[in-house]
Amino acid sequence: MSRRAEMEATLEAMLFASPEAVPRDRLLASFEEGEREEAAEALAAVCARYAAAPERGVVAEEVAGGLRLVTRPDLHGALRRFFELSGRSRLSMAGLETLAIVAYRQPITAPEIQELRGVNPAGVLGTLLERRLVKIAGRKPVVGKPFLYRTTREFLMHFGLESLDDLPPLEEFEELVGELQTAAEAPEE
Amino acid sequence: MTRPATSRGQLPESWRVELPVFEGPLDLLLHLVRVNQVEIADIPVATVCDQFHEYLQLMDELNLDIAAEYIFEAAQLIYLKSRLLLPRPRDGQPADGEDPRQELVERLLEYRRIKDAAQSLAEIDGIRHGIMTRPWQRLPADADEGLDLGEVSLFDLLGALKEVLVRYDREHPEPLHLSRESFRVRDQFERLLAALEDDRPVDLLDDLRRLSCRAEAVAAFLAVLELARLSLVRFHQTAGGELLLFRTERQLQAHELEAIEG
Repeated sequence: MSRRAEMEATLEAMLFASPEAVPRDRLLASFEEGEREEAAEALAAVCARYAAAPERGVVAEEVAGGLRLVTRPDLHGALRRFFELSGRSRLSMAGLETLAIVAYRQPITAPEIQELRGVNPAGVLGTLLERRLVKIAGRKPVVGKPFLYRTTREFLMHFGLESLDDLPPLEEFEELVGELQTAAEAPEE
Repeated sequence: MTRPATSRGQLPESWRVELPVFEGPLDLLLHLVRVNQVEIADIPVATVCDQFHEYLQLMDELNLDIAAEYIFEAAQLIYLKSRLLLPRPRDGQPADGEDPRQELVERLLEYRRIKDAAQSLAEIDGIRHGIMTRPWQRLPADADEGLDLGEVSLFDLLGALKEVLVRYDREHPEPLHLSRESFRVRDQFERLLAALEDDRPVDLLDDLRRLSCRAEAVAAFLAVLELARLSLVRFHQTAGGELLLFRTERQLQAHELEAIEG
């Protein structure tokens, strides 16, 4: 067995046996320093082998700063029947709006979320905490010391994001606000 | 017939109302901006305010619970409308150089951005909720930590169990049971009588102070009252305020003792 083939096999086995996304560096660190470059190529080859293809049920994905093997999303119907699972309850629009606020404006308190959505977010935050999509990250040093909320690693994994920088940009809207502000300032001149 | 007479199919046509579902007052406002076909920045406050109230009225007529947030927003809109109705300075510019609608416009724009972001998240969620991963599993234990079960005998297991049980007992000692104390007047009666037997006075307050608890003191006090009633003691108060009990000549009759509450 060639060294290269052995590397690919080892990396594939590591990914298969890992219970969560493993950072690339950690996978490569298990090889001698002199071999790292070749190991990186081997890892790329493994990832290519697990790229989405019609005949592939398991795919590799890069998420939350690591690599992992997952089932292809569109196979869930067959898998749910096979494991006799009931459909997981999806997030409500209220949940997604609150999640979006936390994601883009974190860390943020419940009153600040209410200010943005116009609705008391207590119940929705409970659901998001339960589903471990958000977490409490300390308290804000203001009157009442409200909890600060942040998104979790679970959130990155669920939405397939490598990091928070991966969130879909809101630039066009930022620009719109910018224009609006200049328009509002104009009458003062 | 299983369907009740008031089932939906038999309601008059006019009762059926199509209501879009709103995620909150800001969502409703965005909807109104959309149906009026205006830009958020040019929001016609008077029109939108009226439509907002019409909507609340509709909710009220339908006996829907109107969340406090809607009422708060409705009040904000009326306030804004009233500010816009105030006469402006002659030059046609607002006094503070600011459109009173500015804050509302900014909130709506921010909310619309959030809604769009939520929409993106919903789309991603729609695709990715079908992903399955390996459930969290324990990795096989390290070789160093592995156990050679061949060397463990039944007695080793029993010994381990015994150790665990002993430690459990040590860490979970039996709770201390305190029995409920009851104090009988008659006991106190007899105790005081005995204390007075040698013609020595008893300092009542001092005596009561020495008792273990309030219940015992109450029993002793009742006993003193009994003693006085039966003329077995007399009181003497000293200049210092002490209450002294002295034994009288009278002898206690057996039936009198019997009569005292047990």
